Amino acid sequence: MSWLEVKDLKVRVEDREILHGLTLTVNPGEVHAIMGPNGSGKSTLSHVIAGKPGYEVTDGQILFRGEDLLEMEPDERAAKGVFPAFQYPVEIPGVATMNFLRTALNAQRKARGESEFSKPDFLKKVREVAKSLNIPQDMLKRGVNAGFSGGEKKRNEILQMALFEPAVCILDEMDSGLDIDALRIAADGVNALRSPHRAMIVITHYQRLLNYIVPNVVHVMSKGRVVKSGDQQLALELETAGYAQFEDVA
Amino acid sequence: MPYVEAKNLFAIFEHEATTSKISEDVLFYCTQRGLSQEEAVGLVLNGFVKDVLQQLPMEFAVEAQKLISIFLEGSVG
Repeated sequence: MSWLEVKDLKVRVEDREILHGLTLTVNPGEVHAIMGPNGSGKSTLSHVIAGKPGYEVTDGQILFRGEDLLEMEPDERAAKGVFPAFQYPVEIPGVATMNFLRTALNAQRKARGESEFSKPDFLKKVREVAKSLNIPQDMLKRGVNAGFSGGEKKRNEILQMALFEPAVCILDEMDSGLDIDALRIAADGVNALRSPHRAMIVITHYQRLLNYIVPNVVHVMSKGRVVKSGDQQLALELETAGYAQFEDVA
Repeated sequence: MPYVEAKNLFAIFEHEATTSKISEDVLFYCTQRGLSQEEAVGLVLNGFVKDVLQQLPMEFAVEAQKLISIFLEGSVG
């Protein structure tokens, strides 16, 4: 069974159709890259999978491990193992990161009928994961993303990805605003989470990220559709030829 | 909830209050990480008022905390 099946998806935002029949199938263990110019609908796809309000699905469906994803509330999706890493994670001042992480993880576990983590057990777990991502303890005591640098915000997203152990991850332009060193740390974190039981979708403008996170499949999106799929060679071609060649296909 | 203390009998006081909504983006972020709407509002609100509550005398702080939880019950549909 596929972990994620997007079938002929049509999505409107405020009376404007953004996705015009998008189809995509991602199997467990696979990493798919989605590339495309600004406005091609990449972020819309990640928002719809996450369940963000304001997106109207007019046709098609999304199946998550065979279940109708669009019928689920965002918190249900999270508990079942859908994790979008946001391009611009919000700041929640006053709510300590550690407290947020534990509350969220326990809410997910409760929804799945699993036992909740005690404070000491959670502390041990989060410290282990944080260390592997080069996240200082001090960062976990600060408000969620409050005053974090771009690199810290992205690392905080990957920290959550590691803690929640989702089945499907969508990384929306995680390379934006990162310098080479921060990008490498973030990519190493993502690579460590690659698993035969996990599927990933990596959304990016640039081929550069795919040097670090090597995908199994590369898709090119243009004007709300997938217009070409291939292997990593396709990403390299795009780097030299640009997206213009696909404008007419769509 | 304004709290003012005066030692000058001739002082004139004014206070202002503003209300704001928790941003939809913040709520969405929390729910997408597994919190219910109600849990998300509680977490964000308590974080927001925490700094103020901590500076209140104990009896006020306890009461304020209770008021917040009463206010939250059923406030999210």
